[in-house]
Amino acid sequence: MFIVKMENINYEKIGFKAGLEIHQQLDGKKLFCNCPVETNKKEKPDLIVKRKLRAVAGAEGEKDIAALYEEGKDKTFVYEFYHDCNCLVELDEEPINHINKYALEAALQISLLLKAKPVKKIKVMRKIVIDGSNVSGFQRTMLIAENGKIETSKGTIKIPTILLEEEAAKKISTNGKEVTYRLDRLGVPLLEIGTSADIKDPEHAKETAEKIGMILRSVDLTKRGIGTIRQDVNVSIKNSPRIEIKGFQDLKSIPKIVEYEVLRLQHDAPKEGEVRKAEPDLTSSFLRPLPGEARMYPETDHEEIIITNELLKKIKIPELLTEKTIKLENKFNLPSEIAEELIKNKINLENYTKDYKEVSPSLIAQTLITAPKEIRARFHFEPKLKEKDFRFVFENLNRQKIPKDSVIDILVDLAKGKTPNLDNFEKLSDKDLEREIEKIIIENKNAPFNALMGIAMSKLKGKTEAKKIADIIKKFI
Amino acid sequence: MIMKKIAILHTGGTVSSYYDDKKGGVSTKYTAKDILNLYPEIKHIAKIESRLIQNMWSQDTRFSHYNLLAKEVEKEVKNGAEGVIITHGTDFMHYTSSALAFILENCPIPVIITGSQRSSDRGSSDAKLNLICACQFIVNSNYQGVGICMHESTNDDACLILHPTKTRKFHTSRRDAFKVVNGKPIARVTSQGNVGFIGKHNKSEDKKLKLKLFDDKLKIGIVKVHPNMFAEELLFYKNYDGLVIEAPGLGNLPTTKLDKETIEHEKILDTLKTLAKKMPVVLAPQTIFGRLNLHVYSNQPIYQEIGLLGNHSDMTSETTFLKLAWLLSNYKKDEIPKLITKNFRDEISPRTSLDYLDYVYS
Repeated sequence: MFIVKMENINYEKIGFKAGLEIHQQLDGKKLFCNCPVETNKKEKPDLIVKRKLRAVAGAEGEKDIAALYEEGKDKTFVYEFYHDCNCLVELDEEPINHINKYALEAALQISLLLKAKPVKKIKVMRKIVIDGSNVSGFQRTMLIAENGKIETSKGTIKIPTILLEEEAAKKISTNGKEVTYRLDRLGVPLLEIGTSADIKDPEHAKETAEKIGMILRSVDLTKRGIGTIRQDVNVSIKNSPRIEIKGFQDLKSIPKIVEYEVLRLQHDAPKEGEVRKAEPDLTSSFLRPLPGEARMYPETDHEEIIITNELLKKIKIPELLTEKTIKLENKFNLPSEIAEELIKNKINLENYTKDYKEVSPSLIAQTLITAPKEIRARFHFEPKLKEKDFRFVFENLNRQKIPKDSVIDILVDLAKGKTPNLDNFEKLSDKDLEREIEKIIIENKNAPFNALMGIAMSKLKGKTEAKKIADIIKKFI
Repeated sequence: MIMKKIAILHTGGTVSSYYDDKKGGVSTKYTAKDILNLYPEIKHIAKIESRLIQNMWSQDTRFSHYNLLAKEVEKEVKNGAEGVIITHGTDFMHYTSSALAFILENCPIPVIITGSQRSSDRGSSDAKLNLICACQFIVNSNYQGVGICMHESTNDDACLILHPTKTRKFHTSRRDAFKVVNGKPIARVTSQGNVGFIGKHNKSEDKKLKLKLFDDKLKIGIVKVHPNMFAEELLFYKNYDGLVIEAPGLGNLPTTKLDKETIEHEKILDTLKTLAKKMPVVLAPQTIFGRLNLHVYSNQPIYQEIGLLGNHSDMTSETTFLKLAWLLSNYKKDEIPKLITKNFRDEISPRTSLDYLDYVYS
């Protein structure tokens, strides 16, 4: 390990250059067939198919160096096939169908959000990949838009290209010369967003990735969850080759891993470019040599896609998540974290506020976002609450049948599958409340305020708010 | 228990045939009553009303017969039948199922077409199981629409309910001659009345039957592409209303002139151009299984430029033929390029499953 004080690195001086390549999956159907997007198959495959691949010359007649590297290994590829999310297209047994227009639309939305200019004609290309992760031996890819940009705290980052491509199959295992891949993921629409090497330092790489991630999530078709977005970082310093680091588990690890890589390059730069894997201990390890450039030839099984102005006019540019959050925050006077979570979880607060006019929007929002967390912390279980459970609570709040202090207890019952007995929580009228408290005070003569409060709370919990109890006790003593 | 009311409409075919000593072969001769008497079991499954529509061989079918049959089905729906069984010759049974599926829009009840490969006068006839299973399927399911009910295998134990627009006769004589092409059977049904749906099917409550009939004056051709083809084989259809071409492979045609032996192919391309200007010319896979794709080979781009239709279709040529006739009967001619590959009755499968062939012959 290198013993260096990190903060001493002057990134400008060492000729630090970094760019990002972000891959984002899209939901719905696959890119070139009508199979549904499913990327997390756990059950046993319906079928196993075994194949061989050989390196073939591209249209230019040049063999790809990465392709040759893999060819040397003489592998058998074992594919796990699922009838419900695979068809003949993934098995390379049927030419591709028409491109999925929803994926294309989402790609154009994202391009416009990134201020990029869509190309006039989209030509589908084949990128040679013979590690087996693509049954056909190539990955289909197409340039959607060019010359985009985003603004960051350290200046503009250019986004020269936005590509739409097919996701590769997931590698499951390697056993000698046999490599097993699962086909559920193959063919899922995947956006590739490449930035220029304008990133100033490792922290800036993280900020840029976060900003692009937020823009991606602003589009409805963007797939959410683990593995649906991947960030690769390309790094070099003066006199070093380009290094590509992939496999970041989360954005927070980007700065440290990039820092370590810079240190490695300063001390022990390889001669050739490398693809490296980000490890959990924040170092990186060698994966394969950097692929060469001659990797593409045209996909002849699909016609050119013409992007007309009429089509572009029809594309709706969605509001950014950050804009949506601020709007929601201001409209209902919410804490920003709550607004952010509502937007992130695609919860439409307005629907609830319209249905339950007597309940304050901030109580609704708090209940939807904070209550499950509070239940998890206080009762030590994961509450599986459905929309109808929340609606049950809001309905009763709306009709003033229950006090707001009872919300958690009722939700706990619902989460445990019990039908809450509302009589236990029924809101007492002010008169009844006063009578109850008066009784407690008489029964506990000379007790101090705190003791009376304790007794009253245990007896009247859930039937009214604590503040009200306190006020009444104060009134009587 | 109240029994379901089923109407059986007889149209002839082997199922209604017995040996004719004058003609020296089997003839369609049984009356509706005769058939019921041959298979009295079905009266225990449902309340049967049976009548003869026509006594004919299915190979004699004309478009007007589809209209006639559809109107009879409509009558039965109005009379409160909860299911209709049509006994039919097998040779063109899959054409009729396709035609009826297109005509009977929003069909609220099951309309099951069945028949037999061995005449009903033989003890070994497959007619009995087919007829019983058709009854059982109607009684024990809530299916709506047209289907074919024929033997699942060579065993006399179960039948399949087959897709009306994706089925084809695959054997001259076997009792399990009917198979679904580029799709799966709808359901499996046993003579005891066990029904198992293979794909998903939806039941809707407020279906109102509407007939979209065939124009029986239409002239549609089917031509099969073959080696040593001549342009005049295509030109023959110049005054037709539409043409289906059974093209080999992904949708290839002998249109490339590569030497003096293949000069004719220029003429073929010219003829196709001429035809496509006058009428819809639709390709269908000669291979039977699989889907067309007109983007793969360098000879193909011209096909769509000159207006040949059917790219990405996996309809059988038989269904393509009937769909083209039905579209020409009910829609504007200039809408056909768009409509021919639009799904009306699930005649095109959205994706080609690997297990489609598992249901053919194992």
